[in-house]
Amino acid sequence: MDHSRTTSLSWRPPRTCDDYWSEFKNCKSLRNRFHHYYAHGTSPSCQQWKDDYQNCSAWEKRKDTGAKEALQRSERNRVAEQKKFIPVWDLRREPPIDWHLPLKQEGPRDS
Amino acid sequence: MDQSKQEEDYGYDLFPERSQGQQRKSTLKQSLFTFNHKCRVMLQLAMETSPYAKLLLSAMKSSGCNIYKDRHFACEDCDGTVSGGFDAASSQIVLCQNNIHQQSHMNRVVTHELIHAFDHCRAHVDWFNNYRHLACSEIRAANLSGDCSFHNELARFNFGLKEHHQKCVRGRALRSILAVRKISREEAEKIVDDVFDSCFNDHSPFGRIPHSKKDAKFAYRDYMNRDRYHANL
Repeated sequence: MDHSRTTSLSWRPPRTCDDYWSEFKNCKSLRNRFHHYYAHGTSPSCQQWKDDYQNCSAWEKRKDTGAKEALQRSERNRVAEQKKFIPVWDLRREPPIDWHLPLKQEGPRDS
Repeated sequence: MDQSKQEEDYGYDLFPERSQGQQRKSTLKQSLFTFNHKCRVMLQLAMETSPYAKLLLSAMKSSGCNIYKDRHFACEDCDGTVSGGFDAASSQIVLCQNNIHQQSHMNRVVTHELIHAFDHCRAHVDWFNNYRHLACSEIRAANLSGDCSFHNELARFNFGLKEHHQKCVRGRALRSILAVRKISREEAEKIVDDVFDSCFNDHSPFGRIPHSKKDAKFAYRDYMNRDRYHANL
């Protein structure tokens, strides 16, 4: 599938604009600011959510390509932030083979 | 291998019903008015209403580990004050029916154990031999399940504010390891320290540390939206 051709015709913001707004409001709420301080010792920075909302709206209203690119950059950055750690274990390619096997009903565990 | 030694080494002695095999016979009276019934009702409610649990259940399904309540959960009597456990050998989550009496506690235990199950499903976790793996999953479970929320810590009379969450996560991970493995406190502390930065920052499948039910709802919303999200990055 030629992804690049289809994306320019059918691109939508990764989240709905309402979602960006609700994330912004949640970020700025007293409860969240408290939790953030409790977990990280700092105040949360919420401006990015507001920028994302504004870029999202700009795209929805005017198909502003600058806004689209800014939004994509912001979200890619968020994804990268979530990957900033060296995993302790190796990921599986398949689920564990015994996940769905029935339980052993009789007798004590062996091996 | 000497089975009783294995049981002690891996913490199975906390879950005495596990080594007797699964006994399912009970009268109707026993069925309705027991801790077992209450446990199963609370479990059902947790799976249906907790956004933490719903997200984990979806994520596990996507990873090929569909959860069937009757197969993957067991309500049992346990020793001491332990609330639950994940048995990798049988791919089952144990809920301690004699120690979980409130729905909010059930929600939290289910979330905590589902995080272990999720880790088991998506990664080669060597639960029995690699203490770093064990520590990592415990750090993640304490971090992401709400175990270390301000209110829960307050209820334990652990008062702290700035970055207390992290202190709590370290402490609970340490306790969990010491409860099921025979190593010294110093050794366990070193292992937790070693893997803390990596595992504290692994928020999968939530995408964030859900500090409240609202955060968990947002995380669930994001998870349900993930196809659109990744298609438009």
